[in-house]
Amino acid sequence: MAQLDPVTLGLLWQRLTGLMDEVAGAFVRTSFSAVVRENWDLACSLMDAEGRLFAQSSRSIPSFIGTMPRTLAQMLKVVPAARMRPGDVLISNDPWLGTGHLNDITLMRPIFRAGVLVAFVGGTFHCVDVGGAPRPDARDVFEEGMCIPVCRIVKAGVEDPEIVAFIAENFRAPAEALGDIRALFAAFAVAERRLCAILDQEGIDDPKPVVDEILARSERSMRAALAAVPDGVAEDRLLADGFDAPLVVACRVEKRGSNIAIDFAGTSPQIAHPVNAPFNFSWSYTAYAVKCVFDPAAPNNDGGLRPVTITAPEGCLVNPLRPAPVWGRHLSGHYLPFAVMGALAKLVPGRVVADAGAPAWNVYFRGQRADGRRFVKMYFMSGGHGARAGSDGPNVMSFPTNVANTPAEQFENDVPLLIAERRLLPGSGGDGRTRGGLGQRISFHNPGPAEVGFVIRHERVKHPPRGLLGGGDGAPGRDLVDEVPIPAKTAMTLVAGSTVTFETPGGGGMGPATERSADAIAADRREGYVA
Amino acid sequence: MSLRIGVDIGGTFTDLTALDAATGRLSKAKVLTTPDDPSRGVLDGLDKLLAATGATAADVVQVIHGTTLVANAIIERKGVRTAFIATEGYRDLLDMAREWRWDIYDLDIVLPAPLVPRHRCVEVRERIGPDGAVVTGFDVASARAAAQAVADMGVEAVAVCFLHAFRNPAHERLMAEVLADVAPGVAVSLSSEVSPVMGEYDRACTTVANAYVLPVFRRYIKRLSDGMRAMGIGVDLLLMQSDGGTAHETTALRLPVRLVQSGPAGGAQAAALTGRVAGFADVMAFDMGGTTAKACLIPGGKPARAPEFEVARIARFRRGSGLPLKVPAVDMIEIGAGGGSIARVNALGLIQVGPESSSADPGPACYGRGGAEATVTDADLILGYLAADRFLGGEMRLDPDAAERAVGALGAPLGLSALQVALGVHEIVNETMAQAASIHALEKGLRAQDFALVAIGGAGPVHACAVARRIGVGTVICPAGAGVASAFGFLAAPVSFEAAWARLVPLSALDEAEIEAILAPLRAETLRSLAEAGVDPAACTVRASVELRYAGQGHEVEAALTGGVEVLLAAFEARYEALYGRVERGAAVEAVTWRVVASGPVPEMHLSADATVADDALVGHRAMWCGRAKAMVQAPVYDRYRMAVGSVCHGPAVVEECESTAVLPHGATGRVDAGGNLVITLEPEA
Repeated sequence: MAQLDPVTLGLLWQRLTGLMDEVAGAFVRTSFSAVVRENWDLACSLMDAEGRLFAQSSRSIPSFIGTMPRTLAQMLKVVPAARMRPGDVLISNDPWLGTGHLNDITLMRPIFRAGVLVAFVGGTFHCVDVGGAPRPDARDVFEEGMCIPVCRIVKAGVEDPEIVAFIAENFRAPAEALGDIRALFAAFAVAERRLCAILDQEGIDDPKPVVDEILARSERSMRAALAAVPDGVAEDRLLADGFDAPLVVACRVEKRGSNIAIDFAGTSPQIAHPVNAPFNFSWSYTAYAVKCVFDPAAPNNDGGLRPVTITAPEGCLVNPLRPAPVWGRHLSGHYLPFAVMGALAKLVPGRVVADAGAPAWNVYFRGQRADGRRFVKMYFMSGGHGARAGSDGPNVMSFPTNVANTPAEQFENDVPLLIAERRLLPGSGGDGRTRGGLGQRISFHNPGPAEVGFVIRHERVKHPPRGLLGGGDGAPGRDLVDEVPIPAKTAMTLVAGSTVTFETPGGGGMGPATERSADAIAADRREGYVA
Repeated sequence: MSLRIGVDIGGTFTDLTALDAATGRLSKAKVLTTPDDPSRGVLDGLDKLLAATGATAADVVQVIHGTTLVANAIIERKGVRTAFIATEGYRDLLDMAREWRWDIYDLDIVLPAPLVPRHRCVEVRERIGPDGAVVTGFDVASARAAAQAVADMGVEAVAVCFLHAFRNPAHERLMAEVLADVAPGVAVSLSSEVSPVMGEYDRACTTVANAYVLPVFRRYIKRLSDGMRAMGIGVDLLLMQSDGGTAHETTALRLPVRLVQSGPAGGAQAAALTGRVAGFADVMAFDMGGTTAKACLIPGGKPARAPEFEVARIARFRRGSGLPLKVPAVDMIEIGAGGGSIARVNALGLIQVGPESSSADPGPACYGRGGAEATVTDADLILGYLAADRFLGGEMRLDPDAAERAVGALGAPLGLSALQVALGVHEIVNETMAQAASIHALEKGLRAQDFALVAIGGAGPVHACAVARRIGVGTVICPAGAGVASAFGFLAAPVSFEAAWARLVPLSALDEAEIEAILAPLRAETLRSLAEAGVDPAACTVRASVELRYAGQGHEVEAALTGGVEVLLAAFEARYEALYGRVERGAAVEAVTWRVVASGPVPEMHLSADATVADDALVGHRAMWCGRAKAMVQAPVYDRYRMAVGSVCHGPAVVEECESTAVLPHGATGRVDAGGNLVITLEPEA
């Protein structure tokens, strides 16, 4: 192959990253589950023969950033590359190898060209049911579903019927899960065909020099961004509501030259409730914050994350040991970007956002419709976004995850409840030079006759989203049945005629409120954003 | 003479085309757009066109009009002061939007501000349930209070969007009555009339957009009609809708939001007509202009439709960064940069093209108006694909030195020559467009390489062959007059109207009587609009379809309604399989959105190329980049206007016309067909 000039490299890179969007598109189109289709709760990645991530589908949610190569490395310990054959596909949903809970299933396929292993293509997607009985009081991961250890679900192009039978026997909706698994098989075939075609057209036998160059350039980009800001050490410590007692998330950031190290020593030990975030998940949300703050436009690959070192003591909330329950891992993991930015606020105050009304709020409803059909429905409702240095936090915005709300008209057709109101909560945004975004008040009314069960696991009820740099805190969240407060983490029954109301937390403000501009204050009054 | 006239108001120019139905001869005029009152430019243009053709106002039998007025009013926030009325509990519908972020890495992300601020949003006590039954009756007192509040705001327009109004519009209609009483003179848009589909946020946005532009549009149409009548043109206006059908001004005045995409719709219709004339059933419109390149698939000669699109995006290529409009539109997607898009070296030390664009002023460096950044047009000039002295038919001189300087400056830190960078920019742009077009086709269950490319827009013919090769397409068609394609396309469009409403029904609960009950009002509405345009109902084609899904899914697949439930199920499964490669036998299927499209006859277009042209088109040679020789080579230059029907040219070569230049690479053979189109056949690259 000729020397890699910037034009050739740019074109190749574009073809390779575009390829992964095509692969993800092929998967989404053939996937059956709404989570995959609507929320893009998935990622497709391309690693080289050494397992280095160099291209990832562009539309995704943050929990998949950079996890695939970590999963691949673990898988290769079980099935070494030397033992792989063309057409093999590895599978696992082990939370400690993948993205932190059993619901994310990862598949990996080696790509051979002329008998030589040239790359790996991987895919991860969210599977709504993986068996078990996940609930807020699960004590260990065994209650949360079936764990598929690393194994070859396809051997040399032939599905292993015994592994398929295990899955089919243990999942509540096996047709859907296996449908999505097979959709990934088809997407992998697209990846193999297209990658080999690109290598043929470009006359490349070994993609390694291309990957080296891509990663080196991504790394230089991140290093330049890091080097451009002052060195320093900063810490942050925040309190999560937890269960019986508050949980601590402690974070120390050390920025030296073009490197940044983040450590979570001082964070609470893991607990016997399903809020523990396995390290891969914690790693992703930490790396996500660093990328957002320093190099948001750069492509998502291993190179850009080389200057970033992330550590957490074993056995803590954000690096728990087996068999900790992990189903609601976001209830601690979603705090990490705020802890990182809380610390970075002392080093790069102009680049961070104040706390948002997150970890994500949602509610599961389950019951039976009048026509006898059973339903299980998850509904997401965002809090306010944190204030930024230059602008107010947007109202009700999904962060750090990224999930759209379900239209009331859609929801009411699926679930026998009425969404009686969905309003902004005036005054819920933390005040400041820039204001936090407003949370929302949303009420679900049960017109009867049947009861409807619901499960909630909400944070920021006792410890509201914090303001930054002198900004005020956002309003804490509230959960109410018929206007009477209920616990934030509970499973209850909503009887006919009753209404459950959720008030999501508002975003934190930034800077002293005394510095807020008169125009902004007048606009807040005119629009009724303040109480 | 019997003139049919197409008028397209663009950002800079207003294009007019006239087709003499008797002779098949086409004439064109271009005047500057008059942004303060666009009707003035149109009337000037009509004058100019009539003078050029030697016709009188009495010869005009039809004027079909497309305009960016509606889109610009929304994008530039120049609509009227508008209020919004929602169901109790839903005042904040517009402000709360859908809660997701269109860019996950941008901490400073902003969403487009609603067209109606929160302080002009009010609630009315009423509630319809998901089955259409009344949960809370329409509370007249609260409705009157809301109407009074609206009246007190001094608004010109109001949008009403009640929950589940697409299922039962009764309460919205009562609200309209109250408004007529309490706030007379305020223009009312009801969601159940503007866009009766499921999904309250999208429906509200669409209704608000309609209300917001309605008075502006009404005033404009009035001025234009008055002006035309003063000139002696007595015909009513037909307006180009976003979905490629035309509608009478009476229809358009009810639903101006349906005109948002009228220019691109004209481009798609022009490409469809070109394909028809050139004998290609399946074509893809490839429209590359100054700021973007767009593509629209036209299988079987019909532009692909989409039930929605976004307007006023904050980031051009980012889905979710604009306001959603649930109205039918040609499915024309943005696939890449335009001629004015700026090339830069990004943080990774690689060349990146767009999304920033040098606007018309100062424009690309080679325009010599002070633009210093390298653009796609500068690269094309360096590669010899454009001629410095013949741009826009020689009306504008390009400055090759300025292009060389700008592109060279980009290459210096990379150790690359201006030529190397120019080639890189050209190829990167082409690769982006080819990839995006291929993925778009795949998303529709089609293969891009099965289509012939119809190149329109100023930069379309420059890049079309290279893009075609990257996709694997074998034919590129450059229609005559690519630069005024939209105005021309208006003439090829049938009168048509779409009516749709959402009605969630399990397929198992449907029978033919039920289907008929759902479709009858839709059919009546479409035929009413066609009647307004004077189309004989007997000459109408009425097609019904329905969007279906497996129960529990969130995305629908459209299937034609040609028979009973079993035929429908089979059509759904066939379409589902074509899209997704499988079907879920035995799973419950439900119908969501029902749609009827009524169309008048497609206008007969007799086009005749000028047969008197002498075949002396070779006007010289110039150096241009040849990808095969990997060097600049002397290539022949042809004058498009002097190529006779049947004449042939071989690449590497360029064919120049006033608004564009077709670049034929090595292995390309161009031939002028009977309709005057340049049809280029590409040999696969070795």
